This record gives sequence, C-alpha cells and structure tokens, in this order.
Amino acid sequence: LLILRYISNEFLTGFCLALFPLVYWTKQSYDVFGFFFLVGYSAVALNHVVDFKEKKQEIAKPVSPSELFPSLPIVQGTSKQLKVLTRLTLVVSDPSHCNLLRSTSSNIRLYDIIAVFPKTEKLFHIACTTLDVDLVCINVTEKLPFYFRRPPVNMAIDRGIYFELLYTPAIKDSTMRRYTISNAISLMQICKGKNIVLSSAAERPLELRGPYDVANLGLLFGLSESEAKAAVSTNCRATILHGETRKSACGVVYTVKKLRKVEEEETLPACKKAKTQA
Amino acid sequence: MVRFKNRYVLCEVVAEEPRGRHCIEDRAVATAVRDAIARAYGDYGLACCSMSFTVKYLNAYTGTVLLRCRKDFHRLLCSALPLVRQLESRGLRCPCFLSTLHVGGTIRSCQKFLIQHNRRQLLTLLQNCTNEEERQRIRQSVLSCSLTEGQSQSGDEEEEDDTETD
Repeated sequence: LLILRYISNEFLTGFCLALFPLVYWTKQSYDVFGFFFLVGYSAVALNHVVDFKEKKQEIAKPVSPSELFPSLPIVQGTSKQLKVLTRLTLVVSDPSHCNLLRSTSSNIRLYDIIAVFPKTEKLFHIACTTLDVDLVCINVTEKLPFYFRRPPVNMAIDRGIYFELLYTPAIKDSTMRRYTISNAISLMQICKGKNIVLSSAAERPLELRGPYDVANLGLLFGLSESEAKAAVSTNCRATILHGETRKSACGVVYTVKKLRKVEEEETLPACKKAKTQA
Repeated sequence: MVRFKNRYVLCEVVAEEPRGRHCIEDRAVATAVRDAIARAYGDYGLACCSMSFTVKYLNAYTGTVLLRCRKDFHRLLCSALPLVRQLESRGLRCPCFLSTLHVGGTIRSCQKFLIQHNRRQLLTLLQNCTNEEERQRIRQSVLSCSLTEGQSQSGDEEEEDDTETD
C-alpha cells in the first residue's frame, strides 16, 4: 500500500503555497518543513495520493496536522503560524473510479482540498464538467495522450476549478523539462493562462524553490508575469476557499424581488374612483 | 541619455548541510548560474546574459549573493535561477538552491532590502535563542543595523553564524 504524500503550500502576498510529496513520512520531512518556512511559504497541505490501478484501496482518514507537528514554525515577517491543510489526489484511469467522489459517507469529506489526476480524455472532460473537485492535475512527466479542447477547459474555469502543474521534474531532469514545457504551453494556449496553480513535487528539501522563483519559472511555462505571480498566490488561495465551500456549503438560498405591479394596479382603481367621485 | 541600465538580483544560497557554506565562492556561483542558463536557453541565452554578468557581492556566512545583468535580459536570468542545483568549487560539490530575494535597479536598493531582511532574520533567531548573552548580542545588532553605519553588515554576519550552528 504505497501512500505518497504531497504537501502543498499556499502563497498570498508574501506568503506561499507549494506542493511537496513525502514517501513514508520520515524524519527528513521535518527538515523539509523547516525549508518551507525558511523560504517564505505560509501554508502547507499534506497530500495523500490514491492510485486506483492497484488493488482496491480504502481512503484513509487524513492525518491531523497537529499529530505530526507538535509546534508549527512561524511565518517569516508575521506572527502567524504556518497553516497546515490536508489534500487528497486521486489518480483515475477509469470512469468507475469516480464513483467514490459521489458517495457522501466516505472520508473524502474530511480533506480540505481534493485533486484528481485524469489519465484519459474522457476522464478529463468528466473532471472539468461534473466532478466535485478543486484541482485537476496535468501530467508533466510524459507526453499527454490527449489534446486539450476548449469546451471542457472553459467549463472548468467557470466552475472555479484550477489546473495544477508540477515544476520539480523541470528542475531535476532535462527530458522531463521538455515534456513539462510542451504540456504547459499547450494548456496555456487553450486556457489563456487563467486558473493555473504551480506546485512542486519535491521529495527532498533541495528540490524546493522559493515563491518568487516559482513565479519566474511560470514565465518559462508561457505565463505572463502577473499570471505567474497569481499562479503562486491568489489562485492557490482561491483553491483553498473553493475546498472550504465544498466542505461546508449545503444549499443555496436566494431571494426574489417582490413584483411592484400589484401596487400600481391598486392605485389605478383608486384614481379612477376619485375622478368619478369628484 | 545613453547609459547602460542594469538589474541587480539578490539571492540567498540555501543548502542542507552547514559545511556546504565553504563552497560559496564568486567563481563557483558564476559558473553554476552560467550552466543553468546554458541548459535552459542554450547558446543564445548564455550570450545575452553574459554581456554584463558578474557576481557583485558575496557573503559566505549568510549565503547572500548579488548578481548583475543587463536590464533587457534579466528575465532570462531570473527564470533560469531556479534551475541551479549545486555549486562546485575546488573539487567540492555542494547541493543547494538559490532563492531570489529581491530584484533592484541599483546596488543601494538591494542593500536597503538586505538590511531589512537581515533584521527580520535576526528577530526570528532571537526567538530561538537560549543563551542570555546571545540574546544581548542579537539585540545590539538589530539596533545597530542601518544604511549609514559601515559596521552593520559585519555585525549581522557574526550573529547569523553563531546561532545557526546550533
């Protein structure tokens, strides 16, 4: 049962969001956390990756951050503590895997952010249009098996779903860099740079990069400067808020303005009455 | 007015092991950055960025590096900086990464930013201090950091080095 954990951080005007995977939470992880705080990130999310290709897996309850970190370091420049959230990534290669998302009783509800990693075009379409997720991960380590089309991407943007790109493969390896850049640019051409979140998949603290640097890497991926900065800051925060609304919203109440025609009808007969009387 | 405009990029070298600090030398940093640019942008990028590329200031204790490049090509440099993976000098290899702190048009603006940054770092170190004597020294350094005093930089270095070794 291989559980890889990704930690994502959040960037917000001087604070940052990044993504970090851990393999079998080790002592090393504490060092990485130290690095996050050192470089200037403000919120971190622990990610569990669940791959459905393997034997049927149960989605475990998210580990509470307070168990792992008895004392959270304080963000640079402010007196607030580092925020730790929980995140779940589902690697789906078959439509039947999505049924788990529709069930209301499972532990999925307890995660702050839910991300899905579609492997086929049909699943990408389903994820963008109907699935109840916050992030759609885009594969960067190999050539995309499908091309992006405008309708599902536009629907995802309307629904407030963000597309996630990893940047650590670009740092590590040259061939990965080529795939990352080509996939990222093809996505940019369709979505025009909106709704993008950049995150790292670092396994060691040295593969992490600061928020400013990640925004600069976004320039390599075809984003404009303001879009790149948003990809590291405001878009991440929006994803977290999207996750919160998904967890807490039960229904919508909307009010309708009472029609004013009724009043006018009443006055008319009164006037007529007055004229006839006078 | 004909004047060559430059951009000064202030970075911090972040390494896992404390002994890696000895590798930080200006030539090592320059070669590492040039390699990263060559890998990302090829010959064109390397040529553009080398027009006015130097390492202006280096502080091995705090790991602060100040790079200079032409204003027109600072985007190339900034986007290639995250690709630096290690520094090599005198046969020693130290895996690390460069984290950009500030990009400015003059050395003075970078210096102002660095002073504020160091002051903040000293304050965080103050919280983790255990020794009363160290506390006093840090407080003194924080009070003495300013642009006019020439001694400020060296005062900061000592404190950073001291408390980072625990």
